[in-house]
Amino acid sequence: MPNIRDMPIKQKVTAIAMAVTAAALLLSGVGYVAADSILFRTSMERDISALAQIVADNSTAALAFLDPNAAMQTLASLKAREHLVAACLYRPAGNIFAQYVRPGGPTRCPAVGLRDETRFTGTDLRVQRPIVLANRRIGTLVLLYSQEEIAARIRLYGATVFGLLLLAGLVAYLLSARLSAVISRPVSQLAQATTSVSETGDYTIRAQRSSGDELGVLADGFNEMLARIERQDAELRNALLAEQVALEEARTARDSLATTLTSIGDAVISTDAKGRVVFANPVAQVLLRLPEAEIVGRDLGDVFRVVNEFTREPVDSPVDKVLREGQIVALANHSILIAGDGTEIPIDDSGAPIRGDDGSVQGTVLVFRDVTVRRRADETRRMLASLVESTEDAIVGSDLNGRINSWNRGAQRMYGYTAEEVVGKPLGILSSPDVVSESLLLLERVKEGESIVQYQTVRQTKQGKRLHVSLTVSPVYDALGRIIGGSAIARDITEQVRFAERLAQLNADLQRSNQRLARTNQDLERFAFIASHDLQEPLRMITAYSQLLIKSYPGEFPAEAKSFVGNIMDGTKRMSDLLTDLRAYTELQAPEDPPVEFVDLNTVVEAVLHDLQPSIAENRAVVTADSLPAIRVHRAHVNSLFQNLISNAIKYHGEDPPRIHISAQQSDGELRFIVTDNGMGIDPAYHRKIFEVFKRLHGKQIPGTGVGLAICQRVAERYGGRIWVESAAGQGATFLFTLPQAASRSVGGTA
Amino acid sequence: MNKDTGHKAHILVIEDNPADVELLRMALRHADLECELTVIDDGADALALVHKHSPGPAADLDLAIIDLNLPKHGGEEILEALRANPALTHLPVAVLTSSSSARDRLGMHRLCVGRYIVKPPDLDAFLKIGFAVKELLSETESSN
Repeated sequence: MPNIRDMPIKQKVTAIAMAVTAAALLLSGVGYVAADSILFRTSMERDISALAQIVADNSTAALAFLDPNAAMQTLASLKAREHLVAACLYRPAGNIFAQYVRPGGPTRCPAVGLRDETRFTGTDLRVQRPIVLANRRIGTLVLLYSQEEIAARIRLYGATVFGLLLLAGLVAYLLSARLSAVISRPVSQLAQATTSVSETGDYTIRAQRSSGDELGVLADGFNEMLARIERQDAELRNALLAEQVALEEARTARDSLATTLTSIGDAVISTDAKGRVVFANPVAQVLLRLPEAEIVGRDLGDVFRVVNEFTREPVDSPVDKVLREGQIVALANHSILIAGDGTEIPIDDSGAPIRGDDGSVQGTVLVFRDVTVRRRADETRRMLASLVESTEDAIVGSDLNGRINSWNRGAQRMYGYTAEEVVGKPLGILSSPDVVSESLLLLERVKEGESIVQYQTVRQTKQGKRLHVSLTVSPVYDALGRIIGGSAIARDITEQVRFAERLAQLNADLQRSNQRLARTNQDLERFAFIASHDLQEPLRMITAYSQLLIKSYPGEFPAEAKSFVGNIMDGTKRMSDLLTDLRAYTELQAPEDPPVEFVDLNTVVEAVLHDLQPSIAENRAVVTADSLPAIRVHRAHVNSLFQNLISNAIKYHGEDPPRIHISAQQSDGELRFIVTDNGMGIDPAYHRKIFEVFKRLHGKQIPGTGVGLAICQRVAERYGGRIWVESAAGQGATFLFTLPQAASRSVGGTA
Repeated sequence: MNKDTGHKAHILVIEDNPADVELLRMALRHADLECELTVIDDGADALALVHKHSPGPAADLDLAIIDLNLPKHGGEEILEALRANPALTHLPVAVLTSSSSARDRLGMHRLCVGRYIVKPPDLDAFLKIGFAVKELLSETESSN
């Protein structure tokens, strides 16, 4: 069973209300029943006593006269009294005179008591009355009256009280159940609020005030307490936060100071008041060429040795000066730091005192930096400046508005103005009148960051002379990378331009005369072509009719005339041969459709050898050939090429019978054909000449027109190849010609 | 137009050089070829004749000997016109020319020229042309 203390308030209130109700009802019920039973007993006692008096009175006569019947009648009248158990009349001696006993009651009358009294026995009320006649006692009456009536009455009342109790209990339960909420709800709300606060830690939660009674006061008190806690909590939090922020700031500051010192580009060394190093940042360690351990703790003078760049004299330690004077000092110019490994580094430096809270000097901090780059930059700048001054080119600077702001000697020489005359003037002063806005247009492009290289234009000198110049224009930047102007380098190219113009003129002339020449050449070729044909006709006539002359008049001419006619015919024959070859030669120049078919060169050589068979046989020549490729050419062309080369090789034989070999090679994307003989050979002096038209090295004893090799050259060149000879006099000759490989189909073996 | 009355063959000669015509006559005689020659010495006249078709002087032609190098119209043009005329399509033709160029030779082959004769400078060689013409005539006769 749950402890009553732990029960919810609502149940407690209900239980209390019910207990109170039950107790009140029970007490009042018991009291009532008790009072009623006492009253009832008293009235019953009185009533029975009165009845006993009446019966005693009524029985006096019967006793007096010893008439038991009359006595019996009297007693029998008591039958109506339901609870009367027995009525007995006794004789003074105590023997029973008459009696009435209710059936179911005691079997006989009790003995007479010693005293006449009314008293309650265990179960009955006993009344004993004396019967007196004339002051003499004649008998005794005893009545026994059952107390059952009282018990019944108490039972009835008890049941009533119990019923009421139940009813009242029920009503009390219902009422209290409903009414107890008045008390329990605010309490449970309070309890809930408390629980929420303790669970969430949220002090802004408030209990609801639902009544003005003590619970209301309690809620108010609770809320007030919460408000105070909330305030204190916020204050506490803020304080904590502030402390954290302060801590963080302090840490950041410390870190950033440390970082600054570590990552600063300058070398930093600090010393104590005695000049001993207590800190050296990484840059300082690098510049001094010493590890931190070898710097910290040592005298500054031992690790930081500085001499004058020119005198090599040691420079006063800045620390001494700072400690002595207590103020910031800068090192003299041209200071050279001699690092731990002997390296000399030009530096700039400054020192400052570190003061304690009381203002006393507690140490020094020394800041220095490597100025090698700056010194070098200074040198470079000086060198550039002298370059700018000494160059032949005109170098002109301008601001963004096109006002000249720098002017070198080259510019003075080129344009004729002195710096004083032009600085501050617009750039247009230099422009030729026809391109006066050009400078500004160029400047616009420079403003966009563009550089203009080798821009050719025309400028005008102070004397009004026009100059052709090549300009290179670039933006000029300030230290922040902003464009603040432009610089123009001008080179006088007047001579070059004139030269180029003259060259162009010459070229054009040359081209024209070339064209004229080509035309003339063409006309000539054409003329030669036609002439070589048309001249054949009259020649033929001369020959035929000369012969006809002799033939038609036999015997009429002397032998000498016959010989003259023979000379005429020889001459015309020779001329005819010349014209035939010339025609073949000029024909090669005529445009022709490109060849479409592949020509097997083996068959070409075969045909040529067939044509030359009489000559081969006559000279007992041996001609051999490797397997040759098929190429895309006109058959007639290669035919005449091989014909000329082979017939030449036979014609110009040496002392031995001619041996001729034809082969082909593949090299460097071209086909090379080789015709080698063992003939008389050709003096290298004539190796070029022999390919010219009508050029011959031999007299009439070896017939020829001097066109054959020219034809060969034309054929080779027509197909993009070339022809040449390798030979020496008496050594045989090797003629070589090439044709592009693109035209070939296959090359046979060269065995 | 010059007309000789012969016995057997009627030959059309288109040749502008009278000296060559004379030599040709000599050559034909040399070969004992009895024939009648119709000589035309101008390209335009030749073209007109060829276009006119039969019946005309060309109707009973047995052979044509044509020089390629003619004034106004070349021998090749005349040959083409000749081959285009149905009556003359199959007429045997000998070309007598001073051109030895391969190109000309090829073109003539295309036009069904029976003989391509380069005029030889030597008289004896020229006289042999008569035999070549005779040969051509007999070839066409036997094939007909």
